Amino acid sequence: MKMQRREGKLITYALGSCIGICLYDPQIKLASMIHIMLPESSSPKPDNVFKYADTAIDETLRKMDVFGAVRRRMYAKIAGGAKMFNVVGDSNFGNIGERNVQTVVAILQKNGITIKSRDVGGSIARTLLLDAETGEAVVRSFNQPEKKL
Amino acid sequence: MIKKYDELNSVHIDVLREIGSIGSGNAATSLASVIDRKIMISVPQVQILENNEAVKKLGGAEKIVSAVLVKCHGEIDGMLLYLQSLEFINVVLRNVLSSSVERYEQLNEMHFSALVEIGNIMISSYVNALSTLTGLTIKLTIPANTINMLGGIMNVPMTEYGYESDKIMIINGNIICDGQEIESNLLMVPDIASLNTIMKKLGVLGG
Repeated sequence: MKMQRREGKLITYALGSCIGICLYDPQIKLASMIHIMLPESSSPKPDNVFKYADTAIDETLRKMDVFGAVRRRMYAKIAGGAKMFNVVGDSNFGNIGERNVQTVVAILQKNGITIKSRDVGGSIARTLLLDAETGEAVVRSFNQPEKKL
Repeated sequence: MIKKYDELNSVHIDVLREIGSIGSGNAATSLASVIDRKIMISVPQVQILENNEAVKKLGGAEKIVSAVLVKCHGEIDGMLLYLQSLEFINVVLRNVLSSSVERYEQLNEMHFSALVEIGNIMISSYVNALSTLTGLTIKLTIPANTINMLGGIMNVPMTEYGYESDKIMIINGNIICDGQEIESNLLMVPDIASLNTIMKKLGVLGG
């Protein structure tokens, strides 16, 4: 998890089935970027809280609260959740991306945070950038034009 | 009982290296017969790395690579990934289809099908080595492939076994063909139970 205020860019590379979550409070220009790998932690206190959607979002929101962010002003932008391989005869394989998306969306809604835009699913890995000054996010991926979120 | 990749000791790693070595030999022989060229191989290295380290070592998260993935089941559960660099791709394409590409974007359906097949042959050669040495029956799925950022590809085994481990096993050795040395990377990711099965069968699981 990375956090930045007023200026600078946050970036997370090559999101496959992982999800990149940008959280932004425009009034105080506080930006966070999370890169989660799995939907739910099996323990309430995992070794790495930022690996799981549930513990990562909770911890990030807690930190942003400390820095003065207000939930109803905040918005989220998310990208990732792709299915990297399609294994014939094993339809469950690679569905983790989809489960990640569902979990992230549900947790953000539960916390009352609007998801302003999203670029999820498909079969292509994405790199996600967030500008701390403007809250603008950009997605870049292989063989595709850059996309504004 | 091994509970984590971290717990593999030098004897275990040696066993895996031996499997990797025989696998590489088999793979090189198969590749040589498919592309009808003389192939030499370097002694393979077996490394157990943390995922981020592995990605860095293989060229960085945003590097584009072609990958073939096969899952195995039966007495061993896990997956195998064969990473194909552009150099490797061109050696295959030149010899099998008499064509070559400068960028990944130029690959067409015909190329893909050749690459998946070669990837499948390489992976099967490794699995054969493993199966012969251990006497275990290993079944393989139909190969799947993608061209994507390395970081995203390397996350697949991590997410599949993410609750068990943050480590990954890489067998890399170079292939030398027509005087050109090409990196060859195979990622073998047995689940922990299967890793124990392998070690037990080979008689190196103490305690």
